[in-house]
Amino acid sequence: MKISELHNLGFTCLQDQFNDGELAGGYTSDLLSDVMANLGEREVLITIQAHRNTIAVASLAGASAIVFCHGRTVDADVAEVAAKEGIALFGTSENQFTTTCKIAAALR
Amino acid sequence: MKARIDFHIHSCLSPCASLEMSPRTIVARAQAAGLDCIALTDHGCTKNLPAFHAACAEAGMDCLYGIEATSAEEVHVLCLFDSLEPALKFGEWIYESILDFPNAPEKFGEQPIISEDEEILDFVEKLLFVASSISFFDLVHAALEAGALCIPSHIDRSYSGAISQLGFLPDLPYSALEVVAKKIPKEAKKWPVVRFSDAHVPEQIGRRFTEVETESFSIEHLRLALIKLGENKKKTGRASTADGCSG
Repeated sequence: MKISELHNLGFTCLQDQFNDGELAGGYTSDLLSDVMANLGEREVLITIQAHRNTIAVASLAGASAIVFCHGRTVDADVAEVAAKEGIALFGTSENQFTTTCKIAAALR
Repeated sequence: MKARIDFHIHSCLSPCASLEMSPRTIVARAQAAGLDCIALTDHGCTKNLPAFHAACAEAGMDCLYGIEATSAEEVHVLCLFDSLEPALKFGEWIYESILDFPNAPEKFGEQPIISEDEEILDFVEKLLFVASSISFFDLVHAALEAGALCIPSHIDRSYSGAISQLGFLPDLPYSALEVVAKKIPKEAKKWPVVRFSDAHVPEQIGRRFTEVETESFSIEHLRLALIKLGENKKKTGRASTADGCSG
């Protein structure tokens, strides 16, 4: 599945400055230290931690996209940092479980 | 005396703070904002406290020595001391317990230790906002046992606060709770509520502060002042906090 296809799963694109490409997988966590240890390159992060440090952590891991669950939105400065790093941001009102299931099914 | 306090200010040592946040700049801004007592509370490290101590002494500014520690669950907690040595000792324990992720300055920001004269002495290696291995419960008790005021940070924020990280506010003997929004959350009813600036850039110093009636700025007197603040809140339903530099 391509990064841009996350939109087809019903997620709203919050930051569209990114180079589209295949997703290698995904990781779901709300603990940044855990994300730092386990998020992989070209993966999508599924989380409710909608703040600046999340973008930096994703960028360090070489991740491609983040889906913020439970209706969490990002401030303009957070989207700006993500744009600079080329990380796609999506938002959804669904919870982490449902979001993960949808993405996992699409990745199969 | 009536005093305006702001016990949540970051220096340039915090990766997310502006490099302009030298202790001297912080003190000058705090004085201009009419604050009577301030605390330096960097994430996970107390190594800019000696320069802060010198800057406060030079300017005649009352101060506390603090740290904003991150628990294993990624809850931020303000731990505040009235003398430098115990704060440095506590800070060392917190830093040692932070999980070992090296800072990547280009992603997270620099973490300089500076002198009173704003010379860079060194850079801190571990990324300072990363979780420690200390649980929230243990952190609160350790801070209180070390003689500090223990105030969970921004408990009503959607990230890094006790409620967002844990899902609820455990019933622990906090000295007070830091609240950001004007409305006090129902979970905070039992404790005194304070509002501090959480300044990361000079312009933010003074944007929120708390007014207390205290005999001095010792931890002992401040503890009593906070209890009084909590009692007043129960009577009036309002916290003695304010926005803006000049009230």
